[in-house]
Amino acid sequence: MTRAFCALLLCAVSAPVLAQGVVVSDAPVSTSVTVYRDPDRGEGRIDPRWPNGYALISEKRRITLPAGAATVRFEGVAGGMIAVSAVVTGLPGGVDEKNRDARLLSPAALLDGSLGNRVHLRRTNRKTGKVSEQDAIIRSGPSGAVVLQSAEGVEALRCSGLPETIVYDAVPEGLTAKPSFTVHTTSPGATTAEVTLTYLATGFDWGASYIAKVAEDGKTLDLFAWLTVANGNDVIYPDAQLLAVAGAPNRQSDYGALVPQPPSPVLNLQCWPMDSTSTHDAWGLPVPPSPVMYDMVMSAPASMAEMRMKGGVMATANRIAKQEELGDLKLYRVPMPVEVAPNGQKQVALLQKADVPFTRFYGAEVSAWETIADRPLDLTLRMQNKAKDGLGVPLPSGGAVVMQRGDEADLLLADTQLHDYAVGEKVELNAGAADQVRMKQEIVSSTGSERRIRITLSNALDRAAPVELLIGSAGSWVVEGDAARLPAKKDGKLWAVTLKPNSTATLNYTLRDPG
Amino acid sequence: MTLRHNIVWGIALTAFAIPALAQDSANPTGQSAQGDVSVTIYNNNLALVQDVRQLPIAQGVSRIEFPDVSAQIRPETLSFAAAGTSIIEQNFDFDLLSPDKLMEKAVGQVVTIVRTNPGTGAETREQAKVLAVNGGVVLQIGNRIEVLRDDGLPVRVIFDKVPPNLRARPTLSVRVDSERAGVRPASLRYLTPGLGWSADYVALFDAKAGRIDVQGWVTLTNNSGTTYANANTLLVAGSVNQQGQPNYGGYNRYVPQPPTNIRRAGTETANRERLGDFYLYPIKGRTTIAQAQTKQVSFLDVQGVPARATWEYVNGWLGSSGEPVSFNSVVKFSTSAQGGLGDALPAGTVRFYMKDGSGAPQFIGENGIGHTPMGSELALATGQAFDVKVQPTVESRQKISDSKWRTTMRYDITNAKPEAITVDLAQAGLDWYWTDTKVVTESMKSTRRNADSVLWSVPVPANGKASVTATFETRY
Repeated sequence: MTRAFCALLLCAVSAPVLAQGVVVSDAPVSTSVTVYRDPDRGEGRIDPRWPNGYALISEKRRITLPAGAATVRFEGVAGGMIAVSAVVTGLPGGVDEKNRDARLLSPAALLDGSLGNRVHLRRTNRKTGKVSEQDAIIRSGPSGAVVLQSAEGVEALRCSGLPETIVYDAVPEGLTAKPSFTVHTTSPGATTAEVTLTYLATGFDWGASYIAKVAEDGKTLDLFAWLTVANGNDVIYPDAQLLAVAGAPNRQSDYGALVPQPPSPVLNLQCWPMDSTSTHDAWGLPVPPSPVMYDMVMSAPASMAEMRMKGGVMATANRIAKQEELGDLKLYRVPMPVEVAPNGQKQVALLQKADVPFTRFYGAEVSAWETIADRPLDLTLRMQNKAKDGLGVPLPSGGAVVMQRGDEADLLLADTQLHDYAVGEKVELNAGAADQVRMKQEIVSSTGSERRIRITLSNALDRAAPVELLIGSAGSWVVEGDAARLPAKKDGKLWAVTLKPNSTATLNYTLRDPG
Repeated sequence: MTLRHNIVWGIALTAFAIPALAQDSANPTGQSAQGDVSVTIYNNNLALVQDVRQLPIAQGVSRIEFPDVSAQIRPETLSFAAAGTSIIEQNFDFDLLSPDKLMEKAVGQVVTIVRTNPGTGAETREQAKVLAVNGGVVLQIGNRIEVLRDDGLPVRVIFDKVPPNLRARPTLSVRVDSERAGVRPASLRYLTPGLGWSADYVALFDAKAGRIDVQGWVTLTNNSGTTYANANTLLVAGSVNQQGQPNYGGYNRYVPQPPTNIRRAGTETANRERLGDFYLYPIKGRTTIAQAQTKQVSFLDVQGVPARATWEYVNGWLGSSGEPVSFNSVVKFSTSAQGGLGDALPAGTVRFYMKDGSGAPQFIGENGIGHTPMGSELALATGQAFDVKVQPTVESRQKISDSKWRTTMRYDITNAKPEAITVDLAQAGLDWYWTDTKVVTESMKSTRRNADSVLWSVPVPANGKASVTATFETRY
């Protein structure tokens, strides 16, 4: 009944009244951001413009609570917040209920929320500039076509070609600018509490960016790595504790589906058919100039070229991330507070090792069956990830740039990537094709039950070239000849030989059908 | 709310001399037309809504509309009951009001057009008859025929009224025959998709102490398009059969089978409310389930459940791997009342956390569970271990006879962790085409878990290696 009286008395639609006892926490006091890699990305470097990993964000907030029941609203949380993962600790009365509301204020939601209500229809006369306003009631649903009823009759919005718009008295209740996260709590007394809000959020990723610099003697290299973090969220974390986790935590739920999608920013209004005598196609409304796109330009990541130019990157020990064990994962803690900026990439030193000895070999994987035309072998740099061999640290997956110190400028040897290596494993960096060390495989003779095969290696370098050739599985056929004595590797045989300077080597073998 | 919504609006409209008309009044900004609402939510995107409204029903035959029902209501499931009434028919109308419908329904009728002179800004009004709406609008003005806005100049079209049967939203109504007039409680009951729930668990794992603290939250989502105010809410752990139902999700929803990480199903009954075979999780007090809301309510908080970290790897077939591959990190615990969590767990996602060097909890991975009876043994893989790897290699493969083959496998296990561990290594793929695969020799004793796989529990020293070799005899 109050509503009817209200309408009769010409009073405006009452503004949404905030529920009693809402406490707003607008920003955290301190934040910790732990970044996890995109489990579906595969190994190698990240794409800072499309980060599909996630982060565990832990925010400390100071909240003044009244005695009794209250609703605490957390503002300034990451847009990619996965609300179901949120944990709130530190509320003296505990958490009765957590809510994530995603009814956002948008042109369509305004229209939908005002259905059946009194709004104002404002028209501007293009010639005289006269603005006229009249009351109207929205009669149609939210599907984007507006039918209004006024004292004059029934009309459709923006089918007349006149500049006309709807002016609302109030925002319908329950619509918010951003998805909001609230908890209900019942405090035993009025107090100020130190509350920690911890949640997973999408739109982050990280990877290592290695720069390996081969010394002039060609026997050791200096290894430096950046911890490269990308943030695709629109929230800034000043002075955040930044951490990164390497390893492969399981991700079961569909994180994309757990984050509410923003409503479409464009409200499409449809009219009645508007063919004129000169057109046959459906006549569309003149489309208003589209709103300026969000400025998607972000701080450009340091380009690889730039990094190459930096040459010997050096970081002092107290600026290098500290590695901790976290169960079966590796945790990297950035030792100083850093700013994690929205839509940006940040790099801090991850690890640094000087004079790491390495060996090089030329390799390929070949099938045991077919003719392979002359081709270059791939140069691989091999290190032992052991303390006695100058390394002995976990190496998280990332991109790697290998450079050779030249006379005047550094020379890029390879732009490659590596996967996760634990301590004790051998680390292999693919450094690209070596045109001077080559192989070919010929079928010397072939019958239904026997194939004779010859592999020829050639080295045009004036120094020895170690070669590791992996010959693939022969299936059920039996390998005979030189290859029969070779050690097993993967599904096949490994031929390891060191070619003398400027020399060739051959391997003859026979595949026989055991019948 | 003692008066019906449209009566209230009728008064308001008359006061403005706007033609009053029969209309629905789904009005989300005003007070909801819902009465005493109870919502029972199942896991598989389905809810039963019961809504008892105080409705004024006239004597004899009358039509009653129901605003503020679920926007995704399955109208065929509606049941209506009120004392002293019998139902004649139920209608679900979804002919929606839009500018083109408005114009189409105006064919043959007279509308008012208002032209604005672009030079002077002056307005002129005329009466026009709508002759046809096919692609464009053809009007008769006096004895002239025109196409509406053919010259591109502004023309307003004013209609006298909204045509009947065109609605703002799909509208549900019943026609009832009432013995008497008066306000009385009327009960509505219907099924709707768009409401669902699952559980989310927060498990803080202390590997050294061998225990987990588990908090359970029920997570309720509402995408049904409607808010349920002050609802009595009951969650049912189970999926009722919905065979042969059309897909009401709007698009072809893929519903994945819930994962089963149960190693041994339990046989204990939890001390919770039950309905038939289902466990019930009522929400304390009344709660408002808003549209587009995700709501979480705590239902479980258990400290210090014994749990242990293990490492598992299953080699799927008698094959090699080019690179060492990681073992799965698996957390095992029981849901038994003795030495376990002591509850039946509704299906959901378990997120594991572990404290880092500074004592802050960090996320270490998640996995899903299906509905898990009390007393079950659970083994949840949290991820792949960085430091524990295995490289399986086929050492040799020999033909023994026409139908017998011997395959020798070597498994090199490395442990870069500073402590000694025992890992579970399994070779599967042995029951291939129902062959009588057997282990001929092996470097350590295995257990044959089933026809398909054998299992070795291999101790690996700290920062060390271990190898297992085995020869299998297969049919092909």
